Amino acid sequence: MSHNLLNQDFGSEDEDDDFNPAPAEDSDNEDESRNNANRGRDLEDEDDEEPANGRANERRRVQIEDDEGDNEGEGEDDEGDDEEGGARGEENQDEEDEEDEEEDDDDEDAVSGRPRKRRRRGGVHSFFEEEAGVDEDEDEAEDEEDELAEFGAEMHPDDLDALPVGAETDDRRHRQLDRQRELEASMDAEKQAQMLKERYGRNRVAAADAVVVPKRLLLPSVDDPSIWGVRCKPGKEREVVFAIQKRIEERPPGSRKGIKIFSAFERGGAMAGYIYVEARRQADVMEGLEDMSNVYPRTKMILVPVREMPDLLRVQKSEELLPGGWVRIKRGKYQNDLAQIEEVETNGLEVTVRLVPRLDYGLNEDTGAPLSDPKRKRIGMNPAVARPPQRLFSESEAKKKHSKYLSATSGLGGKSWSYLGETYIDGFLIKDMKVQHLITKSVNPRLEEVTMFARGAEDGTSNLDLASLAETLKHSTAEDSYLPGDPVEVYRGEQQGVIGRTVSTRGEIVSLLVTEGELAGQTIDAPMKSLRKRFREGDHVKVIGGSRYQDELGMVVQVKDDTVTLLSDMSMQEITVFSKDLRLSTESGVDGKLGIFDVHDLVQLDASTVACIIKVDRESLRVLDQNGSIRTILPSQVTNKITPRRDAVATDRNGAEIRHGDTVREVYGEQRNGVIIHIYRSFLFLHNKAQAENAGIVVVRTTNIVTVSAKGGRATGPDLTKMNPALMRNGMPGASMPPPKSFGRDRLIGKTVMVRKGPFKGLVGIVKDSTDDQARVELHSKNKLITIPKEILVIKDPITGATVEPGRGRGGGRVPSGAGAPPSRDGGWHGGRTPMAADSSRTPAWGGASSSRTPAWGGVGGGSRTPAWRNDGSRTSNPYDGSRTAYGGGAGGRTPAWNAGARTPYDSGSGSSGFDAFAAGSRTPAWGASNTGNRTPAWSGGASSSAGGGSKDHLSHRGYDAPTPGDVYSAPTPGGYASAPTPGISAPTPGAWPDSAPTPGALNVPTPGGRPYDAPTPAMGGMAATPGAGVYGDDDGAPRYDEGTPSP
Amino acid sequence: MFFLKEETKVISLHPSYFGPSVREYLINRLNEEEEGRCTGDHFVICVMDMVDIGEGRVIPGSGAAEYTIKYRAIIWKPFRGETVDAIVTSVKPTGIFTLAGPLSVFIARKNIPSDIKWEPNTVPPQYTDHADQVIEKGTSLRLKILGVKPDVAAINAIGTIKEDYLGPL
Repeated sequence: MSHNLLNQDFGSEDEDDDFNPAPAEDSDNEDESRNNANRGRDLEDEDDEEPANGRANERRRVQIEDDEGDNEGEGEDDEGDDEEGGARGEENQDEEDEEDEEEDDDDEDAVSGRPRKRRRRGGVHSFFEEEAGVDEDEDEAEDEEDELAEFGAEMHPDDLDALPVGAETDDRRHRQLDRQRELEASMDAEKQAQMLKERYGRNRVAAADAVVVPKRLLLPSVDDPSIWGVRCKPGKEREVVFAIQKRIEERPPGSRKGIKIFSAFERGGAMAGYIYVEARRQADVMEGLEDMSNVYPRTKMILVPVREMPDLLRVQKSEELLPGGWVRIKRGKYQNDLAQIEEVETNGLEVTVRLVPRLDYGLNEDTGAPLSDPKRKRIGMNPAVARPPQRLFSESEAKKKHSKYLSATSGLGGKSWSYLGETYIDGFLIKDMKVQHLITKSVNPRLEEVTMFARGAEDGTSNLDLASLAETLKHSTAEDSYLPGDPVEVYRGEQQGVIGRTVSTRGEIVSLLVTEGELAGQTIDAPMKSLRKRFREGDHVKVIGGSRYQDELGMVVQVKDDTVTLLSDMSMQEITVFSKDLRLSTESGVDGKLGIFDVHDLVQLDASTVACIIKVDRESLRVLDQNGSIRTILPSQVTNKITPRRDAVATDRNGAEIRHGDTVREVYGEQRNGVIIHIYRSFLFLHNKAQAENAGIVVVRTTNIVTVSAKGGRATGPDLTKMNPALMRNGMPGASMPPPKSFGRDRLIGKTVMVRKGPFKGLVGIVKDSTDDQARVELHSKNKLITIPKEILVIKDPITGATVEPGRGRGGGRVPSGAGAPPSRDGGWHGGRTPMAADSSRTPAWGGASSSRTPAWGGVGGGSRTPAWRNDGSRTSNPYDGSRTAYGGGAGGRTPAWNAGARTPYDSGSGSSGFDAFAAGSRTPAWGASNTGNRTPAWSGGASSSAGGGSKDHLSHRGYDAPTPGDVYSAPTPGGYASAPTPGISAPTPGAWPDSAPTPGALNVPTPGGRPYDAPTPAMGGMAATPGAGVYGDDDGAPRYDEGTPSP
Repeated sequence: MFFLKEETKVISLHPSYFGPSVREYLINRLNEEEEGRCTGDHFVICVMDMVDIGEGRVIPGSGAAEYTIKYRAIIWKPFRGETVDAIVTSVKPTGIFTLAGPLSVFIARKNIPSDIKWEPNTVPPQYTDHADQVIEKGTSLRLKILGVKPDVAAINAIGTIKEDYLGPL
């Protein structure tokens, strides 16, 4: 037996692999060894009975003696280290035992076992060597040892070879063991104790020594084996290490093709794709990893510098997965779904998780489509999109279309289903997954998700494992859970018990300013894990993140370790949460709110449904939707909150305007009433303080309510201010109705204009384009297009440069209207009209163009006619009020009425038509009324017509008479008619008046306008000036006249 | 704890009150408005006296006059840890609601000694240790304030009777 071999074994196998603190039977204790020796002797006797065996022993003994000699030398070398020797002795004895067992096997298959025995031989020899070394130190030396050796050597393979098959060695060992046990039993306890003490006492000394050894001396040095980083397939590190272990077991270091690797390990996630192998030489690593899958020793290996070796073994505790904990799935159909750990494989690599399945049970399958793989692939490609919703597995659903894929299996825990290759239990999907496909950190299960996992108990209650939930949540301490100023306490670690306030947070490290104790005033750093927030009873706190009580406010009533019991402000219930989920709160008065939701808020549930919140619970909202049904919803089901629009307007059953804050009553049904708090389309949400249920909220339709009282005393009923010009005037003094818009092409376009003011003042240009109030003007002077408000433009004649009156259609109107207001001095007068007067007696509209304008008008009649108008105005005034006013407001004169078209027909009518006109006239008022009037086209029609013919006037007058004026104004006498032509002429005489047949004169008689007539048309003014004046004079006209005149 | 505190208040007076009795009127107004007020921090118990009634200044544009009044008042500011006597206003399974003067104090179940149990079957319902201690509506309690939560115009407090010498009187 070569020395080399022995040495090798000694180093690698015995010391490293087989160290095993002494089992009871074998010991190198002196007593024991003596016993052993005795036993050995006994054995020898027995051996004698078996000649073959005895011979074998003898031979072995010789051999041993040889070895001893060798060992003696070595023993001397080792002498200094008693401890080691002892240890070795132990080991060897261990081995001996092993050997015994092996021998049994060997005996049975002596022949086939041969090669193994040979291999083993080295081990046996090493035993002897060791023993020799050890015993040398001890007093009882050689002979005992001999015997010991003898009995140890009994299994020498060579001897065994010599043994007959099934030899008695077996039996002998049993007896030996029996005897030993007997002996031990016979020893008194004290002795036994002493024995044990001696046996392990030495070890203890050794252990103590180890502790004393400074750490740095334990660090690896250059003499130690090197560590090589070897590339491997990422994710397979652990597998490779296990494979190496297996290989070492198969090919132990002492064997022929022994693996000369001392250790192998991996660094997990930190160094994915690498394993680390400890060996003396790189070649050893190569050899050891040869032909191993997933590892690539042939790629460049990294020799880890000695200095960095310790770092490789720095342990970072990996997250331990516990059954019941929560994880998320990294990818696939269940990406980001919450899963509960059912089971964790012992290797920590695989876990069984419970998921809420996402199945469509083949309902969305296109049965017509060929079951081509590509298509399926495509579907599967983006599973996160359009995946079925999470629902518990339902066998009845599965049976509908996929009964062939469904099979029931009954296990211990109830029945489970196998469907499409997956297992479903209790409706959940049970799936084995690799740890690397799970998200285990910052899982933060949400309540909605967790509730899905709540298994319904027998009694219908759901039992949620809050403890495991809490455990999961506890690990997800977010960085923001500590804010500067939070009172904290270090509850574990070196600085346990330190109390302070956080100053800053960096990653997982929190700096805190110590406020109490010896360290007070200092700033120390502590890992977040060892901190917990500190609260005192009576603190007002808010629950932040994590717990289902999120955003709850309350006062602390009890603090116990890191759980805090608080009393909710809202429900006066006691809540127990982790202190990490709490924060001191300064908020107050947020009662009754859930997040952004408050009672009486209007929320959108879906595109067509809104609802009013009637109750806010801790986690849910109770709402009354627009259809009057009550539902309980989660805040997550609310699409959005509708910000109240205070200016929303609706109309009630009577057409009255209703607004937020008005009190309304149902017309039919329960006649409920209340104050409008929300208006949504045709639905009103009312609040009735007298009603207890639904927080006093009622939903009604606008068509079914009438206004009881409007907020702020606003008039109820149709809004007259919007229809009645009189009121309108009061309501908004000075705000006259804008001139009617002219449609179609803006006449300003193409005109030459001058800018009246502003930076471009005085510049002349051509209007290129315009909007309602702006014009784009191309300046003559600069080649530039500027945008300028129309009102500061003056139209110029492109040739003469003279200012051109704005078109009657538009500009004109404005002017009069402006003037209009003031003149009205009689209540009756409507300002509007008078302005016309301003224009040289004629209506302004006319004024501008009058002369140039329509020939007809232009004619002499011009003046006279106008009066007619006025008459109209004046007369009509009352009846027409409405209509007129409209005029008065803005258009005064110009209004469509003016337009030629309207007039003409009437014209034709002339005298006779007058009557028609009449009719028209009379009608018109109606018109006016209905329309607001201005419109008058009809009117104007009438009016103008009269004007045109002169005679028309009469008609119109008549018409008017009919209405109101009849009394006074009717003024227009038939005579007037006749006279129609010239206003002056016609100048209605008083007589005329009564007749009502309004003569043009009558018209002039601006009087009407002057007087009681509110409605004096613009024309009036004009009229007034003219003949009318004279006429008037007759009646009361005169005075009016005066008035009239001034007014313009 | 009670304090004597000097405070300032601005009262604006409609011109119709200007006259010989404007002072009395101001005093009345002050008493009316201040006494019993809760600032969210303390309760004003009583206005003691006026230190100074400033001269009225007519506000331009309105004709009203502003008087700045300095006065002293007795205020009560409840503190954490303060022991007060209170009257039970209602008992609920969750705890006891009490009124200590103007301050409503809630005693949570956790803060009631464990031997005093909720007894819903009596009329009226009560907390009792089935001996001499009975807490029902109207009972006088001595309690310790655990925490005070200021509100906009109110103060809410929680208290405990789970200590020596606390409980029904």
